[in-house]
Amino acid sequence: MIVLGYRVRMEQRLSTPRSLLVMVPVFSVFFALVVGGIFLAATGHPPIGTYLKLVDNGYTSFYGITDTLGLATPLICTGLAAAFAFRMNLYSIGQEGQLYLGMIGGAWAGIALADSLPTLVAVPVVLLFGAFAGAMWVAVPALLRARLGTSEIVSTLLLNYVALNLLNYFIFGSTGFFRDPTTSFPQGRPVAESARLSPISFFTDKVTNTYPTFFIAVILAVVLFWLMRLSNYGYETAVYADSPNTARYAGMNSAWLQSSVLLISGALAGVGGAMYVVGPAGKVDPGLLQVGLGYAGIVVAALARYNFIAVIVAAVLFAGLRTGGNALQISSDPVPIAIAVVLQGAVLLFALGGELFRRNKVTISRVQAAAT
Amino acid sequence: MNSNIWLLTFADAISIATTLILASLGAILTERSGVINLGVEGMLLMGAVTGFLVADSSGSLWLALFVAVLVGVALASVHAALTVGLRANQIVSGLAMVIFATGLSQFIGKPIEGDPLPVLIRPIDFGALSDTPFFGPVVFGHDLFTYLTWVLVAAASFYMHRTRPGLLLRATGDAPATVDAQGGSVARIRWVHTVVGGALMTFAGAWYMFARSAAWNQSATTNGIGWIALALVVFASWRPIRAIGGAVLFGFSLQVPFTLQAEQIRILPPTILAMFPYLITLAVLVALSTPRARRLLGAPKMLGQPFVRDER
Repeated sequence: MIVLGYRVRMEQRLSTPRSLLVMVPVFSVFFALVVGGIFLAATGHPPIGTYLKLVDNGYTSFYGITDTLGLATPLICTGLAAAFAFRMNLYSIGQEGQLYLGMIGGAWAGIALADSLPTLVAVPVVLLFGAFAGAMWVAVPALLRARLGTSEIVSTLLLNYVALNLLNYFIFGSTGFFRDPTTSFPQGRPVAESARLSPISFFTDKVTNTYPTFFIAVILAVVLFWLMRLSNYGYETAVYADSPNTARYAGMNSAWLQSSVLLISGALAGVGGAMYVVGPAGKVDPGLLQVGLGYAGIVVAALARYNFIAVIVAAVLFAGLRTGGNALQISSDPVPIAIAVVLQGAVLLFALGGELFRRNKVTISRVQAAAT
Repeated sequence: MNSNIWLLTFADAISIATTLILASLGAILTERSGVINLGVEGMLLMGAVTGFLVADSSGSLWLALFVAVLVGVALASVHAALTVGLRANQIVSGLAMVIFATGLSQFIGKPIEGDPLPVLIRPIDFGALSDTPFFGPVVFGHDLFTYLTWVLVAAASFYMHRTRPGLLLRATGDAPATVDAQGGSVARIRWVHTVVGGALMTFAGAWYMFARSAAWNQSATTNGIGWIALALVVFASWRPIRAIGGAVLFGFSLQVPFTLQAEQIRILPPTILAMFPYLITLAVLVALSTPRARRLLGAPKMLGQPFVRDER
């Protein structure tokens, strides 16, 4: 018997086995860890030891978990924002900028409006203004997309750089409204106390970095999940995502669908920025810039396959990578925090490859010479 | 106001344009085959950092550029494998590539952060020619690679519009099923052009590192130039020659804030001025999406669509 070669056959699956829904993400994470391990080893860091430290600092220790949940809060929002747009094939990558604008909008409300309001009112007002600012930041790309068909990919992305410079202007470039007037040191003006929430202590006397906004983010995800499943609007977007022509023939307003989805997506990312104000920052703060939560939100959404509930899980997973990575950076054998970003990118690349196995049944057979 | 400074700004814009031209040429080749690679920004960063690292340890500019090209081949191969081989979503794969490559460049670039450049790409000394008014700085003030880039653009244009493989390339982006029916391999054409395009992108990053940067400074090294290069592809309507004009225009808008700052002309705060390149890019994109402009543009018709024979 002579083996001439291998032949790969792909058959499209009609339904995906449940096991694969778990296997693909698990294997994606595993292979990403292997890739990251290669780079760790190549730069002289022990891979296994580094990962154990990362897991301990990101997921298993008390402060690890609470830091992770705190970081996951805005990440859930940007993840939801990306999922909301991507599932309708609108590839908005402006979450980063919308997040900044959410912070600016939220801080504006926190400074200008919240003073005379009780916390129960002030916090929602700040969050709403953040949402509004985030939505406004995507309004131009949304309008262009709906009216002229301008690719939202590049337009939203370009606005990220504009938002970045706008934020720099408010904090470093000007002495205006958002700048703390009491000090010459460039920092944001603090919002009213009533617009702040205190961290959750989880029945201990420790001060954590998890804020009640985490639960707001989770509730937001659950509400979105059911709303999009049960509402007419959810149905229309689903039809449009599958086949824009079908939606058009059925009389759905595609311009309205496209622009509203982008606006809601922007609002979701904006809420994340406002949560940063309500929670840890209390002002317009450049700390949000360092983390890249907007871009990470896209990875989270893709890994969650645009399922809003799964976004929560993916966001916590990724936030853990980040907090774990932070701890690595300041340990005795400092590993650059960028390893967390490498892992994020690698997870997504492998998950994308895994899609093939989810969609198709792959069989490899040997091609044999005919017996003589 | 000193008119000489604006002449120098223009000369600088032509120089910066080299990165934009190379990167968008890479993207044009990729997109003409029907594959969209959004990873440009990440590829530029990887080209820059690997170029720096290799030059740092070997002292050789040529080896650095060569390795940067190899890195581009490797990264673009991953994108091609995912999108052409495994038919993954091209947009998401490109974004994953940006995130992966950005993270990786910062990870391996950590030790060299802020270090002085080990080698530099310097303008060619044309002697007396460089001192001629106007033509001196604008035409004779550049380095070897800037001139080679212009030649490369001409060659790419000839290849795309005057040769048979170029015709096949364009056909693959517009009507892959036809190419397939004629016996051409859609997968191979897409794969090759994605990889060559990726090599051009990382080369552009390495050139930018050695010719235009002061030091490796994480993702701020390229600061969004890759995204501008992507917008430039639309601006150039997927034609290499037209990318030159757009690149100089965008290069000028990138350079103006520095000139104004150097001249201490304070019209606007520097952070506001820094928004302009992106806003101008956006404005150009908008102008190009009017129905009239769209008809003239001619984007590859099957851009972003995976080709599957059995489904047709």
